[in-house]
Parts: sequence; structure tokens; C-alpha cells
Amino acid sequence: MLRESDKTRDAVGTPHLQKQPQGTDVTSASTNDIEFRSVAKRYGGVTAVSDINLAVPKGAFVALLGPSGCGKTTCLRMIGGFEQPSEGTVYIGGQPMNGVPAYRRPVNMVFQQYALFPHLDVEQNVAYGLKQMRPRIAAAEIARRAREALEMVRLGGFGKRRIHEMSGGQQQRVALARAIVNKPKVLLLDEPLAALDKKLRTAMQIELQSLQRELGITFVLVTHDQEEALSMSDLVCVMSTGRIVQIGPPQEIYDRPASLFVADFVGKTNRVPATIEAGANSIRLANGVGLPKPASANGTLGAAMVALRPEAITLVRDGAATLQGTVTHRIFLGSSVEYSVEVDGLGDFLVTADRRSLNERDLAEPGERIGLAFDPNALHVFPASTAGSAAITARQR
Amino acid sequence: MTKWYRENAPITADKLADELMRLKRGSITRRHFLGVTGLGLATAVLARQPGLFNSTAFAGDLGTQMSIATWPNYHDPATFEAFTAATGVAVEVNVFGSNEEMLAKLQAGGTGWDLFVPTNYTISTYAKLGLIDELDLSKLPNYDASTETARFTNEGIVDGKTYAVPKNWGTTGIAVNSSKIKTPVTSWKEFFDVAMTEADGRAMVHDYQLTTIGNALVSLGFSFNSVKPDELAKAEELLIKVKPHLYAINSDYQPSMRATDAWMTMCWTNDGAQLNRDMPEIQFLLGKDGGEIWSDFYAIPKSAANKAAGYALLNYLMTPENAVKEHVANGAPTTDSRVLKLLPAEVTSNKIVYPDEAALTPLEFGAAVTLTDPGRAELMARFKSA
Amino acid sequence: MNVRSNGPNFMQAAMNTKRNLVTAALVAPAAAWLCIFLVLPFIAMLVFAFGERAPEGGYQAAFTFAQFAKLPTRAAAFWNTLVLAPAGALLCLLVAYPVAYYLAVRANPRYRLILVSLVVVPFWTSLLVRTYAWMYILGSRGIPNLLAMIGIEDVRMLNTPGAVLLGIVYGYLPLMIMPIYVSLEKLDRRLLEASADLGARPVSTFFGVTLPLSLPGVMTGVALVTILLLGEYLIPQLLGGGKVFFIGNALVDLFLQSRNWPFGSAIAVTLVAVVVVVLMVAMRIAWKVAGTRQVDLV
Repeated sequence: MLRESDKTRDAVGTPHLQKQPQGTDVTSASTNDIEFRSVAKRYGGVTAVSDINLAVPKGAFVALLGPSGCGKTTCLRMIGGFEQPSEGTVYIGGQPMNGVPAYRRPVNMVFQQYALFPHLDVEQNVAYGLKQMRPRIAAAEIARRAREALEMVRLGGFGKRRIHEMSGGQQQRVALARAIVNKPKVLLLDEPLAALDKKLRTAMQIELQSLQRELGITFVLVTHDQEEALSMSDLVCVMSTGRIVQIGPPQEIYDRPASLFVADFVGKTNRVPATIEAGANSIRLANGVGLPKPASANGTLGAAMVALRPEAITLVRDGAATLQGTVTHRIFLGSSVEYSVEVDGLGDFLVTADRRSLNERDLAEPGERIGLAFDPNALHVFPASTAGSAAITARQR
Repeated sequence: MTKWYRENAPITADKLADELMRLKRGSITRRHFLGVTGLGLATAVLARQPGLFNSTAFAGDLGTQMSIATWPNYHDPATFEAFTAATGVAVEVNVFGSNEEMLAKLQAGGTGWDLFVPTNYTISTYAKLGLIDELDLSKLPNYDASTETARFTNEGIVDGKTYAVPKNWGTTGIAVNSSKIKTPVTSWKEFFDVAMTEADGRAMVHDYQLTTIGNALVSLGFSFNSVKPDELAKAEELLIKVKPHLYAINSDYQPSMRATDAWMTMCWTNDGAQLNRDMPEIQFLLGKDGGEIWSDFYAIPKSAANKAAGYALLNYLMTPENAVKEHVANGAPTTDSRVLKLLPAEVTSNKIVYPDEAALTPLEFGAAVTLTDPGRAELMARFKSA
Repeated sequence: MNVRSNGPNFMQAAMNTKRNLVTAALVAPAAAWLCIFLVLPFIAMLVFAFGERAPEGGYQAAFTFAQFAKLPTRAAAFWNTLVLAPAGALLCLLVAYPVAYYLAVRANPRYRLILVSLVVVPFWTSLLVRTYAWMYILGSRGIPNLLAMIGIEDVRMLNTPGAVLLGIVYGYLPLMIMPIYVSLEKLDRRLLEASADLGARPVSTFFGVTLPLSLPGVMTGVALVTILLLGEYLIPQLLGGGKVFFIGNALVDLFLQSRNWPFGSAIAVTLVAVVVVVLMVAMRIAWKVAGTRQVDLV
């Protein structure tokens, strides 16, 4: 369901998509719909974003992911033309956009809360962009295209409704139809699903993906919801405090977080302080347990922070397991089970267990002593001094 | 800096403030507010609070407060202040623009006036409607009927009873700025002719049925007081013909004349005297063909709350020594020979204030019927709304 | 079923009663005020309108439609008022809209409050006094005097229809600016961005989004100013030299000069009916355009 066309995947998979060196030949108009080159945005003395370098290939579905205030919306608005960069240049379709107003840009946006025109009906909302076209389009053609766009978002027959008569989900579709009717090069989506309930959100995620495949245009999605970013996009750009901290396909972001921040923000993670001694081939956890040095530890010395995904851990009834602990809570989730385990000398661990990881009918009980087994290579090691910092990302990659 | 320059200079902040203060005190030129509100809104309190040096001699009888309804710039404020100082009674001054308005207020009731200043032709109506008291002359020892000119006092007497005593008399003539208008204007006929030619856009008529309709009638050779439908129809025709050429329909003509916005106007004696005193090029003339002669009276409303104070103030105003100050202040001619003797020669020799008897001959006193005649009221409304 | 549903219904009813009592208590002072100073006088006016003028002026009891039959004699006043009031309001609108737009959209938010208060400050002084000031500005000692200094003699500005319009626009400008300002200030900036995003140039955005969405404010302002102008008396009297006759002037003359209360009442009743119709039509249009039932009066 998540997988895109081969062409897109290939493009996304190539290494040049991550942190771009400036002004190189690989950033040609033919491959990239959107490009940020050393972009910074300041409001007065406050820096909103800085050092943004990003290239989005044609037809990609990119997600700008980060907590609120990280600068992702500012980046989106610089693409849309609602903000001008203080430094650097944004390119759309290979053209520098400095000073180009929003109404001259070949992009359209689905606004947070939709920003539908309350004084126009559904069809007039959708037709609004078509009416701005010069040379003018015939009224009949405008009506036909508007209805077509409404059909596309499965709102055929709703054209004469007033906006306030539509539900949240329907308004979302109207906003979508309004944004795609002009056939933009790039569709910008600013937290488009935030106002919807969970069930509707999931349905819309699928719809947005199939819409993107159908239209074959670039989508840029801004979201603070890591699940949404991972499930919909084929390229995730994680941002923190005004900078990009990691760019990559969803799986890579999840499996190989470039920093403790990414590991924390994308998915759940257990953190364990550890030390790596010079020359040693092992890593020592805070409770003294030594483990073989994982591949991700190369180069790191001294105090470190180790991250371990809850689902990378298997609970075993085996006293010889690497770590031992006591089950404190158990949350049954149907297909899986979440345990909270008080690990000796390390504190609380979150463990997500496939139901089959223990005997299907014999789950661990709170209070039970239990062993935790995992592949040492599943550990992500980060230098303790830069834990949570974004700056290190590029070098590590 | 010449006087001319000062007169015509844009108003300064000081001057504007001064005008506004005068406006608030209700002491701007006669009938200033007729054109302003028509509502008699310019109620001013000269001395609401008793002063420090009040005599308490009369206080028991007279109370501490009374109210008078009169015309703008028709009294010397010092007179009321002196009265308050002498009696402890504070005088509230209500300023009105027309007799009709005063009548309307009295008919509606609840005016609170203890003394007011109606014009000759209204007295009989007030008496008939029972809105005013017959005066108790024993309470007015300073009034002396024998020194009054009968011509001006007789309309205060209805059915042998004295309902009102005269304040002063005057005429309604024509004020012309001779530096702007070269054609001689000596009659109302010429007034309306010039208004449509040389004074096009610069002539004013009163917002007052008695004089505006009356003078139009006179110009056509009819009586000032006519209520005959065919004569009124001819007057209406003339007025509607002249209306597009008028500068304004407004009884507050002094500011416009002084600013030379207007060059010619219907004008009351006292305004004419004031205008001519300050701007000699403005001449005041009486119509050869007729016009109005009038006298204003003092009367006490039946509804007055403090009649004792009303009588006290009236008696005070009838004292020649007090009345002469009033006359010097407002510039209107007196009806009382005692006052005439006290007036300075430059006032009594002023032909605007005291014209030759011959000039007064064609003039008519306003008739009571004009006050209540619906035909004249409707004509005025049609003229204004045309 | 019945028994079970009785309980909640009863409680509901009790709660409603309590809420109604509170509502009544809150509304009572305003209702009493309106009743004493608006409804009762209006009833008196209605009664007068069907009566006769007493011979000496005032009212005497009768039941006749004669007063209404005489309405055509004031046709000119009605015509002046019904044409000049909306025309004045529209002129006012043309001046007020850019000001309101500047205040709500363009002005630096830091100074916005100060600028908005500057619009309101003239209201602290009586309109009478401010109109008097205009008499001096437009009179010969004002602008015409300045013109005379540069050789343009005898220009007459006061007592012209232009002076009346100027006075109207000046006097009622704040009443027009404020509702438009409020509706523009409430305008969601993202709608303007959405419009630009969809390719609309600033001018198209203004006519396609800003103007339609500020129409409730515009209609409120136009209705407010029109209604007040329908009763205007002072400005035409002072700046028009009494030659421009509004309904207000007709009423003043009828009550204070010819003392024809019944006819004055008939005109006033008719005027009220006109005002109600104007208000209803204006609000209906505003609702329709704004696509919502919620049109605030201010």
C-alpha cells in the first residue's frame, strides 16, 4: 500500500537526495520540483529556520516532520510564496522564486483548517482558481473542470452546498479539490488531516496517496504526526529547532535514526546510558552489563546514549538473558502486547511483543521475573554529548 | 494690519473658542440659534448657584432659582448677575428662535419658565388659550404705563386686561452690503428683484413665516398679514421662484453678513444697528412699500412655578436704570420715555434704531391670525421643501 | 416508557424555567427602558397620526386618515431624504472603506489601537460644535479667504449641496468606518493567502474575497448611516443654509412652528416604516452575500 512507483522509489533512494552540497550539477530542474539552497528565515532577531538544503524530486511525496515550532510550516510557506527567505533561494521546477508572489507560483496549498471561502458554495470554491487563469477559460469549461475535481475527491453532486453545510471531512476534500483543480506542479499540504478524527484520518491517508499516484505531481506534506509521515510519504524530512536533522525514506528514518532526537520523535524508544572504552570491542551499559559493540557505534568513544526500539526486544523466560527485569504493567493491544519492565539497574523499559513472542496463551504477568533478549546490532549508539542535537546528523550519515 | 483684514481673516483658534463659549452662554447675535437647532436647545445657566454675596432679604419669598425664555443676544448678562446678587435668585436663560416655538413649548407644557418674551402679535393667542396670567401691576411698581408709547403697549392689553408689558420695539428691514451691491434697494420689491440678479446666491430670507411670507406679500402690493389664499398663492410663486437664487433660508444671518458670504438679508433693527456699527458698508433700510414693525413683551406663563421671582425680575427690568443698560447692550429702540432720556445721544440719533416717523408709516404690526393660520405654515413648509 | 421519560423531562422543564427566569431578569431593564421611552411614545405617535390639529395647534382627538392623505405635500422632503440619505451613505462608504481597510489590514498592529481611537475621538465633541467649525472653514473667512489670497475671488462653498455632502461624510464617517473595520479585522488572513495561492492577484483577491466578506460590515455601516441620515436635520440646516429640506426639517417645522402634531406624527410613523424596511432589506442582502445567518450589527 505504501510503495510508490519504481521511478519514484529509485529517485528517492539515491543518496544525493539527502543533505545536498550547494550548487552541484545534480540539482537540475528536470529532476527536482523543489529545492532549498542554504535557506534561512528570520523574523526580526528570531531565526525561524536556517541552513535549509533540500531537494525534492518530481513526483515525490515528501513529509516535513517535526514538533511544533520546528520551522516546517515556515518552509512550506516559503514554497507557497507567503514568506520570502531571508537568505538563500527556493527553486520550483528549477526556477528561483525570490520575490515571486504566491499568485505567480505553480503550486497550490491545502491549508490547515482548509481556509475555504465561506461566501462561495462548494463548486465556486473549487472554480475559484480556474477563474483566475489568464487567458480566461470559458465558464462552461470552468464548471466542467470544477465538477471533475469534485468527482475526483468523491464529492460529485455537492457543488451547490454552502461550505458551512459540509462536515469536516467533506470540507477537507473540497480544499483538496480546490487545490488540485489548477493542476499545480506541487501540492502543499499543511497539517491537512489534523482536524479529522482517527478513523477519517486513516481513510484520508489512503485517499491522498492514491490521489498522488493518479495525478503524478509532487506532494509536500507538513505534519507533526510521525505515523502520518511514515505511512504516506516516500521521503521524510525530520526537522528540529529550525534545522533539518535527517532526510530519508521512512524505513531508514525509523531503522537508522541519525540522532537521539530522531529516534525519540519517530516511534518509541528506550534510552540507556552507556560507555565505550577506547580499543574495546564492547559497550558497557549503565548497569555494568557489557555487550558486543554494535555497528552504529563506530567512532563513538566515552559516554554514550543507546537507543533501543521496544519491538526489537523479545521477552524470554530465561535467566541467562542479557538483561533481567520485573514486569510492572501489561497492556493488551490485540495483535500485540505492551509491557513495562523494570530492568535491573536500568529502570523502566517499554517492550512491544508480538503475541507469539511468548507462548500465545501464556503472557507474562505483572510481577513476573523475565529476561530481555535482543540483537546487539539493534542498538543505536549516540555520543552522550550530542544526544538530541541535530548538528551531527550529516556526518553520521 | 487693517480692520478689513482682521475681519476677513480665517478664524483663529482663540476666536473659535470664543464663539463657542458665546454659543454656550446663549449670547450670540439675536436669533442665532433659530437657524442652528430650531429646538431651543441653547439652554444656558448664567448663575445656577447662588453667589457668595447673595442678599437673603428676598430669599424667603423668591426662592433661589427662576427661569426665563427669551431671544439670543437680547439681554446684558450683567443684568441677570446683578439681579442674582441683589435677590439670591439664580436666573436660568432659555434661548428660542421663534414665537411659534415658544408657543409650541407652552402648549406642550412643563416649560418651567417664570418669565418669557413673546412678540406683540402672539399675546392675544396666549391669553385666549389661557397660557399666560393677567399681570398684577401692583407687583410691578417700577412699570409706568404713562411713560410708555401706547402704539407699542396696546397689544399687551387684551379685553382691557394687561397681560404683557413691553420690552422694546423694532422693525424688520433690509440689510445690504453696499460694497457688493450697487443697485439701490429701497423696497421689498427691489429686495426680491436684486436677490435674483445682482445678489444671486448672496441673499438671505428668514426661516420664519411671518417675515418671509409677509415681506413677499408686501413686495406684491398685498398686506404683510394677508391670509387670503389667492394672495398667499402669489407670494408662494414668488418665493419658490427666488429660492434657487438664495444664499440661505436662515434667521441667523449676522455671521454670514459679517463674513460677506451673504450680501443682503431680511434684518431686524437691533441686528441692523450692530452690523452697521461694525461694518459701515452694511446699510439698514426700511421698505418703502411696507414691512413689519414689532414690539416684544414680557409675560408670565400661567404654569410658572416661581411667579414671585418672575415678578421680581420683571420689576427689576422695568427700572429705567437697569433697562437702559439692556438697551445699550442689545441695540433695540425703547418704548419707555424714561429710558429714552437716559440713553446716550449717539444711540437716540441713530436713524437705524430710531428712524423718522415717515419711514415707519407704511409698516404693519404682525397680526395674531398669522400665528395660527395653517395656510401660512403650510406655505412656509412648501417653500422650504421646494 | 412514559414513566421513565417523565423524570428527565420534568427536570429539563425545571432547568428551563430557571434559565428563563435568569434571562428575564437580564432583559428586564432594557425591556422596561424600551417600553417607556420607545414603545409608549410610538403608540402615542400612532394615535396622534390619526387625529386632527387643534385650531391653535397641537392635537385633538379624531379618527381620520386625513394626515396620511396629506403626505404627498411633503413628497419633496421624502424624496430629498430618501435620495440624499443613501447617496450620503454611499459617499461615506467610499471614503470610509479605504480607511477601515488600512486600519484593519495594513496598519502596524502596534499603532492600530491608537489609530482606531483617533477615528473615534471626534465623537467626544458634539456634532453641533464640529459642524459649526465647518461653517467657519467653508465660509468666506475659511477656504474661500485662502483662495482669495491667491487671486481666486468670491468662491462660495457654504450653503451648497457640496457642503451638505461634505458635512454628512465628515459627521458620519466614524459610524461607517467602525463596522467595516470590525468585519475586516475578523477576516481570516488565510483566506487571502488561499486566494493568492489559487492565482488571484491582489486586486482580484480584494474583489473576490475581502470585499464580499466585509459586506456584513459594509451593510451595517450603510444601514446605520442611512437610518441616521433619514432623521438628519442639523447638517442640511447649518451647511445647506436651510434650503435642503429633509424629513427631519419637516418634522421640526411641524412640531415647533406650525404645531401640527397629527401631521408630524403621520410623517414620523411613515419614516419609521421606511427605516424598518431599509434595515430589513440591508440585512437580508448581507446575509445572502456572507452565506451565513450570523450578521453582527457591529
